[in-house]
Amino acid sequence: MEFINYILALGPSVMLPLVIFIFAIVLGQKPGRAFRSGVMIGIGFIGIGLVIGLMLNNLGPAAKLMAERFGVQLTVVDVGWPGSSPMTWASQVGGLSIPIAIAVNIVMLALGLTKVVNVDIWNIWHMAFTGALLHIATGSLTIGLVGVAIHAAIVFKLGDWFAPVIEKYFDLKGIAIPHGSSAYCGPIAVPIEWLLARIPGVRDISFTSETIEEKFGVIGEPMIIGLILGAVIGALAGYEAKLVLQLGMQMGAVMVLMPKVVKCIMEGLLPVADSARVLLEKKFAGKKFYVGLDPALLLGDTQVVAISLLFVPLTLIIAAIVPGNKVLPFGDLATIGFFVAMAVGIHHGNLFRTLVSGCVIMAGTLWISTQTIGFHTILAQQAGTKLAEGVTQVASLDQGGSPITYIMLQLFHMDNLIGLLVIGGIYLISIIATIQYSRGESKVDEKEKIVAQ
Amino acid sequence: MKKRIIVACGGAVATSTVAANKIVELCKKEGIDVEIVQCRVSEISANLQNVSLIVTTARVSKDYGIPLENGMAFVSGIGMEAASQRILAHLR
Repeated sequence: MEFINYILALGPSVMLPLVIFIFAIVLGQKPGRAFRSGVMIGIGFIGIGLVIGLMLNNLGPAAKLMAERFGVQLTVVDVGWPGSSPMTWASQVGGLSIPIAIAVNIVMLALGLTKVVNVDIWNIWHMAFTGALLHIATGSLTIGLVGVAIHAAIVFKLGDWFAPVIEKYFDLKGIAIPHGSSAYCGPIAVPIEWLLARIPGVRDISFTSETIEEKFGVIGEPMIIGLILGAVIGALAGYEAKLVLQLGMQMGAVMVLMPKVVKCIMEGLLPVADSARVLLEKKFAGKKFYVGLDPALLLGDTQVVAISLLFVPLTLIIAAIVPGNKVLPFGDLATIGFFVAMAVGIHHGNLFRTLVSGCVIMAGTLWISTQTIGFHTILAQQAGTKLAEGVTQVASLDQGGSPITYIMLQLFHMDNLIGLLVIGGIYLISIIATIQYSRGESKVDEKEKIVAQ
Repeated sequence: MKKRIIVACGGAVATSTVAANKIVELCKKEGIDVEIVQCRVSEISANLQNVSLIVTTARVSKDYGIPLENGMAFVSGIGMEAASQRILAHLR
């Protein structure tokens, strides 16, 4: 026990390289590659620590000043998934979540409960986030790990339910997207699609765009988004011109540097991901299964690109409007498309309807992410994130704003019954609608097949 | 001469890292000197100078005027050999 505590006290940048090195050796990698993977993941953690520090310590105080001057509450910076995923991997639940999620997947496949063979190891961090927050909230590692398993099971089912959307709209056969954020946002769009398709007048509104990307030009690039946002917040904070320009440059740098350092963590996970994929493929290959992959696949779709750009300013506006919201969107803005990609497919590419459901999704996400600030901050501190004086809290839209995480937190550690009932109620209705929708879609498929024969 | 390849995905973290690693391994084995530019799909247009090939793990419909291949096979493991051959054909 003393030994384990000593290892844990080394901090993620030393502990995780050790864990990954042992993991990779056990999985049959050569010592050289195993060692390199371990070192790489440690570098990832040191890198993300620096970048998150750059972001929080500069944007945080500016956000506070801006909030004081304008009476808004946006004081807590969204570190985004590039910030929250390393914190999650660094937690005790983090490493354990990979075998658990794979085991849940294998059991569900064996029992015929899912058709999704999830080879997307990176995104297990979404499930681990729920587990890590449950661990912090309840103090029980067991409850945390149970949370990972439940979240994993829900996500694989979401993969099954949305497989028709992936096949029909995105034209990807035999693929499912059992993903922590794209998939959980999907159900919200289903009842909205049903409703909008039934309101006279509104149901005829439809637009798509091939040109938004061109019109936005360089402004749509993440580094420019960061630059503009940093400068605007600096100006609203009442900074002098020099500081405004510096904050703009710093936030542009954050947008460019964040993926560069987080990808080191992925490189470290490669041997694990490779072995898991080979294991799953050996057991569950063939046409009856969907390969569960990352929603990166969806982000190249023209309509998804268009709506992602629109939701950069929209999310900021929604953040200012949502009652009680304290989270200033930043880290997730560069990949806001992950939240609305599935909705685009559900609405058959209709951007008007995606705008409606996307606003609901982002409003809910922001409200929930405000509720998880407390536990999220503890997670950040445990991962060794250094916060400057005056910057005391962190948040993230992905995964801190997830209804699945929030509902599970409330179930195991209730502190807001109304919140549970409202969010739980809305989400339950959305899930039921999604199951109905999925059944309807598969029936249509069967009919088409019979006609074709 | 070194060939520049853009490898892009949604967030330039997960799937593009997997694909980029596989492509580097492949090219090393074939003796082709490559330089990888890893970025988000939204950053492809900004990185096009002197690029011989774009590989994305997203389904991209836009035409950049440079050969584009899908690299999802490197992530899923399905059709990896065929994808490798297609990529090599662009580089030789």
